[in-house]
Amino acid sequence: MSQIPNLEHAPINLTAIRARAQAELGTILKNLILVAHLNTKHGAELRHLTAEPIQTERTKVVYLVRAQLELMKFICSHIHNDTSKGLHREYYLYFVPRRVVACEKILEEEKVHELLNIGEFHLYMIPMDEDILSFELDLAQKEYLVDGDATSLWHIAKGIHNLEFSFGVIPNVRAKGKAATRVADILNRMQAEEPVNNSSDRRHGRVRLLNCLWAVLGGHGHSNVFAVDIRGIARRGSMQFLGVNNGAVELDASIMGAQQEGKKMKVPLNSSDKLFKEIRDLNFEIVVQVLRQKATSMKQDYTDISTTSQTVSELKDFVKKLNSLPEMTRHINLAQHLSTFTSKPSFLGKLDMEQTLLEAQSYDMRELLHSYGFEHIATLNNLEKAGLFRKQDSKSNWLTIKRALQLLVEDTDTTKWRELKWPLVLYLAWSYYYGEGILVDIGIQDSVAKRPIEEILRLLPGPHSETKRGGFSSIPSYDTLPGSLNSLEKPADGRRALVLVVFIGGVTFAEISALRFLSSQEGMAYDLIVGTTKIVNGQTLVETFVDRLG
Amino acid sequence: MAGVSVAAEWQLLYNRYYRKPELYQMQWKQVDLTRNKIACAPFGGPIAVIRDDAKIVQLYAESALRKLRIFTSSGRLISETVWKNPGGRLIGLSWTDDLTLVCITQDGTVYSYNIHAELVGTFSLGKECFDNSVVECVFWGNGVVCINEAFEIFAVPDFKIPKTVKLADCNLEELPHCMAVIEPQYTKSGDVEVLLGVGDHVLLVEEDGVQHLAEGIGPLQKMVVSRKGEFVASFTHDGRLLVMSTDFADVIIDYACESALPPDQLAWCGLDSVLLYWDDMLLMVGPYGDPVRYIYDEPIILIPECDGVRILSNTSMEFLHRVPDSTVSIFQIGSTLPAALLYDALEHFDRRSAKADENLRLIRSSLPEAVEACIDAAGYEFDISQQRTLLRAASYGQTFSSHVQRDSIQEMCKTLRVLNAVRHVDIGIPLSIQQYKLLTPSVLINRLINAHKHLLALRISEYLAMNQEVVLMHWTCTKISASAVIPDVSLLEILLDKLKICKGISYAAVAAHADKSGRRKLAAMLVEHEPRSAKQIPLLLSIGEEDTALMKATESGDTDLVYLVLFHIWHKRAPLEFFGTIQARPLARDLFITYAGCYKHEFLKDFFLSTGQLQDVAFLLWKESWELAKNPMASKGSPLHGPRIKLIEKTHNLFAETKEHIFESKAAEEHAKLLRIQHELEVTTKQAIFVDSSISDTIRTCIVLGNHRAANRVKTEFKVSEKRWYWLKVFALATIRDWDALEKFSKEKRPPIGYRPFVEACVDAGEKDEALKYIPKLADPRERAEAYAKIGMAKEAADAASQTKDGELLGRLKLTFAQNAAASSIFDTLRDRHDMYF
Repeated sequence: MSQIPNLEHAPINLTAIRARAQAELGTILKNLILVAHLNTKHGAELRHLTAEPIQTERTKVVYLVRAQLELMKFICSHIHNDTSKGLHREYYLYFVPRRVVACEKILEEEKVHELLNIGEFHLYMIPMDEDILSFELDLAQKEYLVDGDATSLWHIAKGIHNLEFSFGVIPNVRAKGKAATRVADILNRMQAEEPVNNSSDRRHGRVRLLNCLWAVLGGHGHSNVFAVDIRGIARRGSMQFLGVNNGAVELDASIMGAQQEGKKMKVPLNSSDKLFKEIRDLNFEIVVQVLRQKATSMKQDYTDISTTSQTVSELKDFVKKLNSLPEMTRHINLAQHLSTFTSKPSFLGKLDMEQTLLEAQSYDMRELLHSYGFEHIATLNNLEKAGLFRKQDSKSNWLTIKRALQLLVEDTDTTKWRELKWPLVLYLAWSYYYGEGILVDIGIQDSVAKRPIEEILRLLPGPHSETKRGGFSSIPSYDTLPGSLNSLEKPADGRRALVLVVFIGGVTFAEISALRFLSSQEGMAYDLIVGTTKIVNGQTLVETFVDRLG
Repeated sequence: MAGVSVAAEWQLLYNRYYRKPELYQMQWKQVDLTRNKIACAPFGGPIAVIRDDAKIVQLYAESALRKLRIFTSSGRLISETVWKNPGGRLIGLSWTDDLTLVCITQDGTVYSYNIHAELVGTFSLGKECFDNSVVECVFWGNGVVCINEAFEIFAVPDFKIPKTVKLADCNLEELPHCMAVIEPQYTKSGDVEVLLGVGDHVLLVEEDGVQHLAEGIGPLQKMVVSRKGEFVASFTHDGRLLVMSTDFADVIIDYACESALPPDQLAWCGLDSVLLYWDDMLLMVGPYGDPVRYIYDEPIILIPECDGVRILSNTSMEFLHRVPDSTVSIFQIGSTLPAALLYDALEHFDRRSAKADENLRLIRSSLPEAVEACIDAAGYEFDISQQRTLLRAASYGQTFSSHVQRDSIQEMCKTLRVLNAVRHVDIGIPLSIQQYKLLTPSVLINRLINAHKHLLALRISEYLAMNQEVVLMHWTCTKISASAVIPDVSLLEILLDKLKICKGISYAAVAAHADKSGRRKLAAMLVEHEPRSAKQIPLLLSIGEEDTALMKATESGDTDLVYLVLFHIWHKRAPLEFFGTIQARPLARDLFITYAGCYKHEFLKDFFLSTGQLQDVAFLLWKESWELAKNPMASKGSPLHGPRIKLIEKTHNLFAETKEHIFESKAAEEHAKLLRIQHELEVTTKQAIFVDSSISDTIRTCIVLGNHRAANRVKTEFKVSEKRWYWLKVFALATIRDWDALEKFSKEKRPPIGYRPFVEACVDAGEKDEALKYIPKLADPRERAEAYAKIGMAKEAADAASQTKDGELLGRLKLTFAQNAAASSIFDTLRDRHDMYF
């Protein structure tokens, strides 16, 4: 099975995005007559950039880096180290996705700028799955909330704008939250500066239009919504514990039943694995049940085969079923591995902690410093700036929201889908836009549904914006259509309209599950694509804020 | 038959017809070609005229100073200037492909003029040419080859790069009889090749070698190479015209002229024939048949074009070229070809004669070719009414035929409209259709722009659906340069009015030009209209509008642009002023802090101090204290960690300055205290394991080392809560497996954290017996049950569980013991009992 996600069934042509990126990387590397492709086509050494000097025989070094200041220091030290040893290499520096003045400034001040051949690799987003696009901006939330560095917002807008070049202007853009409204704003500016020609998508007739963009959250600066995230993780997340990163997990080989002990191996987990697709969004307890069922039915088939005489076609069917066997074994292995987590006291402790967060209690920061060391003062400072932590208790409308939207479900019946309460309030607000029916189906109380959407949006912190964008204005007939918005959002060819939901600051698997569930509903008139700065969980998110002074 | 008068003007050279329609009556007055040096640009380009200082001429009512005058091909004066350049005699002048007039003087100076007779550049051919005067030069498209009095040969391969190349020395003893050049683009080497008629042979001179060619051919008086360098036409000493391939291997024409006197001019007419001009006779020689003679009673100049030769005289401009086949097919006397019949049919039709129909019937099957021929012939016509008639004939034929390319008439009309527009006597660019196709519309537009015919250029580019940006941009820049007296505001209005025609035009580029022309204020106003921030901002910086740039960059949301402005201001302004600027702009400030925090630490401190952000200075100092620890050099010497602690104390004081940072202040104070204690501990224990561990870790380490007194001291110093103290001590004791101490500890008083941690510590260490000491003390039966279960005591677990009366718990415990049949049965019985309860 391939390591990268299969995008065949994606609602829009995501393969094109990947192919373009691949081609561009290919050209970059080919131009250097050097070496490598990520598939080790050319046999290059791939390394992570660290402060350690590079030890290699090769005469050409290619840096493929994000435009981060820290990384420039590494590169400078590498080159200084080489020059001090009298080594002459050719250095190529490719910024992803573009050159940045601040980084080049450092290179200039360190007098290595002339030694480098600098280029760009325009990779703004990576399809992580057939419905997930990631901008891979791990630090977006920290940079924006703590440092006030809004670079990622421009990056996101640019990424979306690039999408528009392929798929046409997104006619409706809605945003909630400070960062999200800013992204919408920048996106509109980009459209003004460099307009997307809407005729382009008409040329490739089969390209689907993105009908709507929802940029949500981001810089809400509020611990509460964050807390909900964590809850989502605890309740839903069978996958989070494994640390699924970039669509694969790294595990001890022994877990997968391999012989070599202690070796790590990468296990791909994404939509190309049918079984994974089926179970990824399920609660852990359900996963075990599903796996058991599958195994049993297989065993049943096996007994059938040994007892009764079979026709050839029946045999064939059976062999076909056997194809999924390796997947089964893998997931059973994984499930076993997971159960070691869930049975540990620490797991329960984590749940407790999350509960505490939900009830909006604050910690004694002094205790934290005592336990973890004073070097974490900066981390605390960061967390506080990001609004994830509060020194003094301030008033919050969390309780109101919690009550209004019935977010905490006391009685959880793990075996039913219904348990899926919205891990994120905004889904509700959002889905409300498109039809009350869904809400009622899912079992949100009617009282909630009856509240006007504006009111709910107001309850949530941060500004809200909504833009109808041009692109169709050139065709007068569109404007004259009765209820033009609706007719726009419901394509004539019977396919469902497409909505891109962008989570600035990261999205959890739980949130993705919720959206997928929403999208899979029959009454739903929309296909959803999730865009995010990074797929996160509580831990990875907090890690980005960790700033050890020591 | 039709068009008899047309064919009457043709001359037959063997089997080909030639014609030379007059393009213009020259508009100039009193220009005598014999008195002047003349340079005519191909493709209907301008004509430069300057009095020839090599000839003795009589001055009329004119200044003794020479004037360089530039005319259009129709003889309209474009510009003039007085020639005051030093450098001796003017040896040669010629137009380059981009219509720059290049003039070379005796001392080897090259003067370049634009079409407006403005000097745009000079350079020297080098010292050798300065010392030994230039004698002769031969130009081609963008270069020149010249020979000096020392018989050295130099080339400038491209005037855009003013660099002279010395060609190989060919040891000449006298000037060659003649010189010709094969353009670099048509040579094998890619470098220019020079042909010299020397003695009785020809030398081929390159940069790095000389070849002898055509030995014994006899002295050549004149040589000229065909346009693409395939053939060379030469005039021998004995009065023969020889046309050969350029390697002198094949002779194509060998024609003996009546005179042995070399002609004044020798030129190719397209590729088909060669023209020789003596005093009053122009002789056209083709490969076969008798030559054609034209008599001129006034001097002429031959201007070779790709498809013929233009003939310039004092009074007129003619275009000598082969009559195209389509035209021949229509107008040849007695032609009965379909095209001629079609043309004839139209005439009948116009006269309402029924013969029109008869003609059409005759050619029905070949109507499409007839139509095509008419269209094609129309393209070659310079006479507008003739064009019209031919196109009408085509259109008439088209109505009877269904197999005609419908849009070719339309295309031809379009092309002819453009051609007629530029051929107009006011514009004076007499392009033939072939020249136009070779030149391309975009180059034509550029030439029009250069000649400041902006309106026509704009109309043509609009008509041909080409990008108008080039035209508008040039117009705007020219307008700015030419409008020094118009105030900024009114000029801006004029410019904007025109610029709005073209969407997406770069206002930034226009503004840059305004700035270069010294109109900074206008530039600032223009750049306002640039929608692309990435172009707008660098320009704002270059015109000194830093604050506007910063504002625009911030608005754009592109942090890279903000950085660009930031570094610019940083570099330009004094630190305090810089701090003031960015303090007012949060995004810029935050980006500065990010950058400086990473790379300009000290400067960042200055910034925080200047803005009174003491707490941020404190954070920086605190951070430094760790760097001090990392750097062993800094911490060596006098009391270990002394400077570090001092730094932290400073941090503490800085935090204390503001009310909001009491917490941080206290933390810093504690940190300093902790470091001191840790330092002491390291001295007393002689183990360097304390510094930079947390308080909890310090306590743990003390206990592990058995130093309970020190642990207690840390506990009291930092007011560690009893709960945490118990947790730490329990697990520390378990680590060193000091079970006795643990038991003693548990008995000191009732543990504030209960007995569960004790149980867990023992279970984790695998000490069941130890765990058993504490399990009974667990207050909650549920906890007790689970604890028993963990150490595998099913019976006890079951007992405890039964007290809870919790079915779910029982079930889970049973699962734990699933492997153990005996234990399982205990649970089953319990469960049954349990069920009976409810």
